[in-house]
Amino acid sequence: MDYQVIDIHNKSEREEIIKFLQTLNLKYENNIEYTLALLEDGKIVGTGSISGKVLKCIAVDARKQGEGIAAKIVSRLVQEQFKKGRTKNFLFTSPDKVNQFTGLGFQLLALAEPSYALLEMGIDGINQYLQDLQKYQLIENNQKIISAMVINANPFTLGHQYLVKTASMESDVVYLFVVREDKSLFPFETRFSLIKQGCKEFNNVKVMDGGDYIISNATFPTYFSRESENDIVTGQAALDARIFIRYIVPTLKINRRYLGNEPYCGTTSIYNKVLKEILPSAGVKVKEISRFEIEGKAVSASSVRELIKKSKFTEIQKLVPSSTYLFLISEEAKPIINKIIASDSRH
Amino acid sequence: MKDQIKIGQAGTLESSDVLVFVRFSPLQKGIKIELESPSEKCFGKIIIRKIEETLNLLGIKNIYIKAQDRGALDCTISARVETAVKRAQKSIGGKEE
Repeated sequence: MDYQVIDIHNKSEREEIIKFLQTLNLKYENNIEYTLALLEDGKIVGTGSISGKVLKCIAVDARKQGEGIAAKIVSRLVQEQFKKGRTKNFLFTSPDKVNQFTGLGFQLLALAEPSYALLEMGIDGINQYLQDLQKYQLIENNQKIISAMVINANPFTLGHQYLVKTASMESDVVYLFVVREDKSLFPFETRFSLIKQGCKEFNNVKVMDGGDYIISNATFPTYFSRESENDIVTGQAALDARIFIRYIVPTLKINRRYLGNEPYCGTTSIYNKVLKEILPSAGVKVKEISRFEIEGKAVSASSVRELIKKSKFTEIQKLVPSSTYLFLISEEAKPIINKIIASDSRH
Repeated sequence: MKDQIKIGQAGTLESSDVLVFVRFSPLQKGIKIELESPSEKCFGKIIIRKIEETLNLLGIKNIYIKAQDRGALDCTISARVETAVKRAQKSIGGKEE
């Protein structure tokens, strides 16, 4: 058997993979950066792909199963990842294939029936992340309101600040998780630092790194892509919620989650809906806060980015805390601002 | 600090093989071995002893190793460990040269 790296930009090579996946009722997904095929007598008998830290679209010819082909493909993908310095891999698959991959040494992170399962393998996995979280655990946690909130804050606005303030006043502690994935126009380090500055006055708010386990390219890939079908978003949102319930909630004894109501972004509103359905079953109360409005309009990061595009800085000043504003007019922000002006990305 | 971390990998997840990952880091004191194996209950101790023996021969005292075993023989285990260690020693800042 021969390995062949697929030139993903070559239409006819890509078509071969798409056709092969179709015979197994699988789709060749978007955002794939590397695809491998295993050939026997010139015919594809298996394939696998990489998207960031995630291995996906792994498939083996139905007549060739049980011959160790999946192990060969995954091994090659893991080696390829290692060359890029990636020492942890996620694997996205369907629930009926979980056993096949746990047999190879993957650990099941969560299931969202009927469509999705997420597994991981490698070092610095979920256990390491939970150990890091444990440092923030409350010692005395009886009958306290311990809240969680997740924000991307691209960039941090008065809308976010209002949400955090509300949660802060109503809770004993607020764990504010910042989406780590660097797919937004404002890089993680900048978003994180602007959030920290904008939340300085709230003593019970702890700003945390969302890591790979809260809205990441592994748990929720469609969050970062522009157009996705609603049922796919729903399935992945459920996966994200399951991971939150299974690992993060018990580690920090979280009993409440705050959401910002989402008037503009379809993906986020589906995510909110799914969280409201799933979290209460784990003893986590969901509170959805209406958006903070100025002059009858909800303040959102996307409206701030729109104004940046039009260079309307006086109007931006009304929508963001002074810490964010000072950053936006600083020399340091110039490359980001140029990127925003040049882009038409939703994030 | 990041420049002082060295990582290496060898082996596969195929049957009768083992995938070995190693990391040298200034924070790592002593030898830490994590093993996953379908035959952990029967052979776990033997596999770990084999890894320790190999490290000993290579003169390694501080290292983190993760081994994902798929039923490898002793000779395979020590060969994979040795290769991963040597690859790490040649690498800089986490990436292979």
